[in-house]
Amino acid sequence: MSAPLNVVGRSVDRSDGIGHVTGRTLYTGDRTFPGMLHLRMVRSPVHHARLRGIDLSAAERVPGFVRALTAGDVPHNRYTILSLIGVEPEEEFVLAEDRVRFKGEAIAAVLAETEEAALEAVSKVRLDLEELPAVFDVEEALRPGAPVVTHWGSNTFMYEGHPCRRVRLGDVEAGFAQADHIVEGVYNTSPIEQAPIETTGCIAVPEANGRYTVYTNTQALYFSLDNTAIILQVPGNRLHFVGGTVGGGFGGKVDVIVEPIATLAAMRTNRPVRYVYSRSEEMQVSSTRSAWRIYFKDGVMNDGRIIARKVTSYADSGAYSRQTPYSLTKHAANVGGPYAIPNVSIDAYCVYTNRQPSSAMRGFGVTMGSFALEVQMDKIAEVVGLDPWTIRFLNAYRNGDLKPHRKPAEDATLIETMQAAAALVGHELPAELLAMTSAPRTDREGGR
Amino acid sequence: MTVRSYFLPPSLPEALALLETHGPELLVMAGGTVAMPLINEGISLPEVVMGLRRTGLDRIEQADGTLRIGATVTLTRLLEQRAVPLLAEAARNTGSWAVRNMATVGGNLFTPPPGGDVAVALLALDASVTLAGSRGERVVPMADFFTGFLATRLAADELLVGLSVPIPGGRTAFTKFGRKHANTPAVVTVAVHVAGDAGTVTDARIALGAVGPHPVRARRAERALVGTDLDADAIAAAAAAATDECEPFTDAIATDWYRRRMVGVIVARTLERLADGTAGAGR
Amino acid sequence: MASTIVTFELGDREVEVMVRPLTTLQAVLRGQLGATATKEGCRQGGCGSCTVLVDGAPVLSCLLPVEDVAGRRVTTLETVTPSEGLHPIQQAFLDANAYQCGYCTPGMVMLAKALLDHDPDPGEETIAQALTGNVCRCTGYRPIIEAVGTAADALRDGDAGQPR
Repeated sequence: MSAPLNVVGRSVDRSDGIGHVTGRTLYTGDRTFPGMLHLRMVRSPVHHARLRGIDLSAAERVPGFVRALTAGDVPHNRYTILSLIGVEPEEEFVLAEDRVRFKGEAIAAVLAETEEAALEAVSKVRLDLEELPAVFDVEEALRPGAPVVTHWGSNTFMYEGHPCRRVRLGDVEAGFAQADHIVEGVYNTSPIEQAPIETTGCIAVPEANGRYTVYTNTQALYFSLDNTAIILQVPGNRLHFVGGTVGGGFGGKVDVIVEPIATLAAMRTNRPVRYVYSRSEEMQVSSTRSAWRIYFKDGVMNDGRIIARKVTSYADSGAYSRQTPYSLTKHAANVGGPYAIPNVSIDAYCVYTNRQPSSAMRGFGVTMGSFALEVQMDKIAEVVGLDPWTIRFLNAYRNGDLKPHRKPAEDATLIETMQAAAALVGHELPAELLAMTSAPRTDREGGR
Repeated sequence: MTVRSYFLPPSLPEALALLETHGPELLVMAGGTVAMPLINEGISLPEVVMGLRRTGLDRIEQADGTLRIGATVTLTRLLEQRAVPLLAEAARNTGSWAVRNMATVGGNLFTPPPGGDVAVALLALDASVTLAGSRGERVVPMADFFTGFLATRLAADELLVGLSVPIPGGRTAFTKFGRKHANTPAVVTVAVHVAGDAGTVTDARIALGAVGPHPVRARRAERALVGTDLDADAIAAAAAAATDECEPFTDAIATDWYRRRMVGVIVARTLERLADGTAGAGR
Repeated sequence: MASTIVTFELGDREVEVMVRPLTTLQAVLRGQLGATATKEGCRQGGCGSCTVLVDGAPVLSCLLPVEDVAGRRVTTLETVTPSEGLHPIQQAFLDANAYQCGYCTPGMVMLAKALLDHDPDPGEETIAQALTGNVCRCTGYRPIIEAVGTAADALRDGDAGQPR
């Protein structure tokens, strides 16, 4: 006889519930420290330009102005948040050096005694910008002669020498030649802003022992600490990152954007520095879910089997890649779908444009691929005259089938999940579909 | 902060005196729902600001078939009055409860498009605006009040102090079409006032919002209704005229293309409700 | 740049603050009085997380100069929370899991308080309409609407000694 369970299987109050309903929960922006300075950022008003000069003279005369930081003040200004997992090159700038690549890009950090003084000082900074042509569409960005966004000259992120993530299985052209139908579709999605009600922010506080405590609402505490250490060129043990309740993230607080510059400001002034995004910065500057354009070309037999699938996907990474290279990898691994298709070719491009950088948001890389994939499956069903359930049962992968990236499926459950879903919504499946399982195919059924 | 002084004058003469002293530098606000977001964002950096909450311009009075509404009457109070249901409907479709507790009728006339949904209703009701300045008071019909994008007949030395609304006979209807059901900027707003309770239309007012630089009268659409019984053909003609004569714009809410497509649909739906006698329904 | 003294009632006590011109009630509550239950989500009047009551009516404190509330009564989540236990609205939110990240919760509770003070028996549609100015990015609103309904029932059942 086992001991009774006190938590599993019971409805338990969340430990932070009382704090939330009484308003006692402390969020990052609720904190205040004596002598705290306010950081507001000077941002590019244009999409793409050479930055020739920054004139701080009028800003410096605003009562309450303390100092401004520019690119030269940042110890390691050019960075890439994913360098920690071996992604390169370093391509993003804490503060812009000689170019700005998207409207809203950070140029100079203004520090002042009050938020209002900082805002006023920012409004008085004069920028010398020489505007450059800009590109906002993924396919236009890949045409010869398109404005080049990156500092290394191409508008694609390079994956081990290739301009895209590639998946190859079998021979799609042979498959298309054999197919009874070719079904094509192009799927476009818009960028989506995570829009948490609490905006991104942090407060960096100098401590008596020479360390800096950074109170932050990042979703990625250690990730932010490590990147901050790299950018500031200090050992990690000089930094103490304190998280806590995040007022909504959804992927919008994983980019390590506010902590490095706020901590640097605290180091250069020896005062606590608060840097919290305004609502317009949260919406128009902070990263979004990528916009996608996904091309499907499927070779389908009259009986509904998909025998060849070619997918070409473009994710709009915006001006800097942030988490998007990882997004494309996930996308390439998933966009073929939970289906057994003998010939698959996937090219997934991480494309730079002069738009607001995109990054993580709930299932990034996979969710938009699923949208395109499943609409395409419905389209195939229409073309061959089968219903949407049947087309999926027919093509569902089973244990032992090879996935497009050449891993055999294990613990496949698509068939069982669809059977359960049909039962839940009261949809009666025909007997032959109800009899199917994810068990490995027998020789009678033929290999896939 | 750039603001050196914030005034809350306790009377109209004092408010006008402050306006005369400080001139165009003085940022005037009532509910703050348009001005404060811009100030909070650091887009607007005024040095002198005047608030009108205490100036005593918040009376609602009904006399001689006219509803007189003070400029700083809140949208909540407009929603609660029963004398002119069209105005209550316009208020109900504007903002949220908290916004309506702060936003004012007068302020709605200075809300940039696609805002100004109450102004659309006032336009359909042939309301007039009372302006007070150094030369005294004058009355301007709503139909003449807007002169262009963010431009009105309000002179530099004047304040909008009230609105006069002839209590309408006949039938009225209001539809605000937005991307959400509530608390949303308009894709298109339509307010209609038709003379006569039934039968032949002798006179009509159709006011449109969010499809031009300011709320406008769709005069050709109005003419298409006069002399008709509000039958399907008349409604279709009015909708087509409104589609043609409006000047929609593109913003973050909708494209000009979509606004133009929707104005005919919403005009038609509003007129159909009027004809059915179901104009009380909100959408 | 002359500061002024503004006096107003916060809950059942009188407070006196010194402010620069056009300082908002939100900034005063959060920055000067340490009353951070009132949140800051947009400063545009768009999210509702700064909702407080002034003389019982819900307003957006981010758009309200504190000079405008001189002599008036301000109610915040801190003043609604009893010295022991929870207000029925708070208890209802807890029981219904009507929160996830918690950032919209203070505004929602304050709005609910105003609603139930004005209308003790609102239907679901009325509750939903009342809450249109409060944005939640986490819950999808259903548990919040349910919580307000449950709180209405609890308050109408007249639990003796429950604060209103």
